[in-house]
Amino acid sequence: MSFLDYVSENSTRISFLFLQHVQVVLISVGLATVVSILLAMVTERLPKTRKAALSITGTILTIPSFALFGLMIPLFGLGVAPTVLALTVYAVFPILRNAVTGLETVDASVVDAARGMGMASRQRLWRIRLPLAWPVILNGIRVATIMVVAIAAIGAAVRGPGLGELIFRGLSRMGAANALNEALAGVVAIVVVAAVMDVLFLIIGRVTTPRGLHA
Amino acid sequence: MLDISNAPDGTTDAMIRLTGVTKHYEGSDAPAVAPLTMDIRRGEFVCLVGPSGCGKTTTLRMINRLVEPTAGQIWIDGQDVTHSDPDQLRRHIGYVIQQVGLIPHMSIGQNVGIVPSMLGWDRKRISARVDELLELVGLDPSVYRSRYPKQLSGGQQQRVGVARALAADPPVMLMDEPFGAIDPITRERLQAEFLQLQERIRKTIVFVTHDVDEALRLGDRIAIFAEGSRLAQFDTPLEILTNPADDFVRTFIGEGAALRRLSLLRVGDLPASVDSGEPVDLTVGADETVAGVLEKMLMAGAERVHVAGGATLTVQDMLLATALPKHPALR
Ligand SMILES: Nc1ncnc2c1ncn2[C@@H]1O[C@H](COP(=O)(O)OP(=O)(O)OP(=O)(O)O)[C@@H](O)[C@H]1O
Ligand SMILES: [Mg+2]
Repeated sequence: MSFLDYVSENSTRISFLFLQHVQVVLISVGLATVVSILLAMVTERLPKTRKAALSITGTILTIPSFALFGLMIPLFGLGVAPTVLALTVYAVFPILRNAVTGLETVDASVVDAARGMGMASRQRLWRIRLPLAWPVILNGIRVATIMVVAIAAIGAAVRGPGLGELIFRGLSRMGAANALNEALAGVVAIVVVAAVMDVLFLIIGRVTTPRGLHA
Repeated sequence: MLDISNAPDGTTDAMIRLTGVTKHYEGSDAPAVAPLTMDIRRGEFVCLVGPSGCGKTTTLRMINRLVEPTAGQIWIDGQDVTHSDPDQLRRHIGYVIQQVGLIPHMSIGQNVGIVPSMLGWDRKRISARVDELLELVGLDPSVYRSRYPKQLSGGQQQRVGVARALAADPPVMLMDEPFGAIDPITRERLQAEFLQLQERIRKTIVFVTHDVDEALRLGDRIAIFAEGSRLAQFDTPLEILTNPADDFVRTFIGEGAALRRLSLLRVGDLPASVDSGEPVDLTVGADETVAGVLEKMLMAGAERVHVAGGATLTVQDMLLATALPKHPALR
């Protein structure tokens, strides 16, 4: 059977896994975004804590994903929970790093002018600094997303949801009928997810970047 | 809550009073501002000038408490502000920072409306006020209101910075080199426009500049700081040019003090010479400056000029009368 025949015959299953994959990525990145921005805000006046948070989350990135998923099993069992948790943990670093950089590199004179007009520090954060840092933060979210799309495939090792299932099953029964097609379908679908996400972020960026910041 | 728009009981005509105000930044031996005492009157335009690092910005920023003084007291309109809520205080003091600091993701209209919106004005009032202020600083509201800071030239941005500081009609304005980054020609135009504006709005203004000429041109009084934030002289431009307090001031105002005085002196103030009865070529108003009248005489090739309701002067008379006091010709 050719690859295309395989895909059209199994389109229901593939598209189900495709959507699952997208979902699990978006949920993890969403969680990581909230965690990272909160971390960046909370550690504003705690430079040491901030440094520690950055180096810890940075170090986590160096743990091979297969190992991290494996470590989750005794703690959280199999399935969606360990996958989402591991992906969230991975996604924190790029977002946190960009949130910190973004907030720190907001033009100091703008913030100073706002302070001079009597804007309280919370107002300065919400009305001035976060909107100005947003394009940088969003870019961190985009990088995290692309990264997590690939890592999510490994989630199948802990029976996680998503396209990893196709790859793992295909590889495990290599030589059998359509094994290669199955694995290949998983890989191609993941590339498509990544491309779709990239386009999605391009659009989100256009829509959410404040007008005055466009060149 | 602080309300500096109402004087308590008119105890003083000082709008801003600094008494023994000192700033010591941590980790430096010399104070950034040594004990400084000065009164700035209501409606007065005061310029702070001095060499880089003499504490001008620090002094300015202590008035709206962006910098906390190490010692001393600051009174605005009769109230000690050293213990007031700084955010409330700042909403009632216009502040123009040197780098302008327009907020890039807000439109020009939103930038100008920031303080009024924090003070809880309703939208209609804010929008009317924004238009009024943009017109005041010479920017057509229908063109500029919905633009973003990036879409304006440097000089236009500085005007918006001034409009923004004026938004809630604060009685006091603090301006830190507001025309600093502007080319000399535009700068001179902005200075002239700003002087006209001040005629109308009569704010109490503290204006920091590096530029003695700017200070002489704009200030009702000028505070000249020496190194180490010593207040070398605090007086009117004419008095500073005529009687510099010390060598530092003399060096600081530089060459040409005598010529500069000509654009500060009014012909009406010159001592009248005996009218010789000879015909005059030109008549001028008593409030025209000596420099302006000399210019007119040179252009017209006039030898003598009649000051309306006063003396008749020759070029010779004018130059002798305006010479610096120590000049032997006046002795
Ligand atoms: N945040 C700060 N921390 C420590 N020292 C400071 C700080 N701000 C200013 N200083 C020091 O205080 C002194 C006065 O600085 P200030 O900015 O008031 O000078 P200035 O007169 O405004 O100078 P310029 O004309 O260059 O703007 C300088 O020696 C400066 O190095
Ligand atoms: Mg300064």
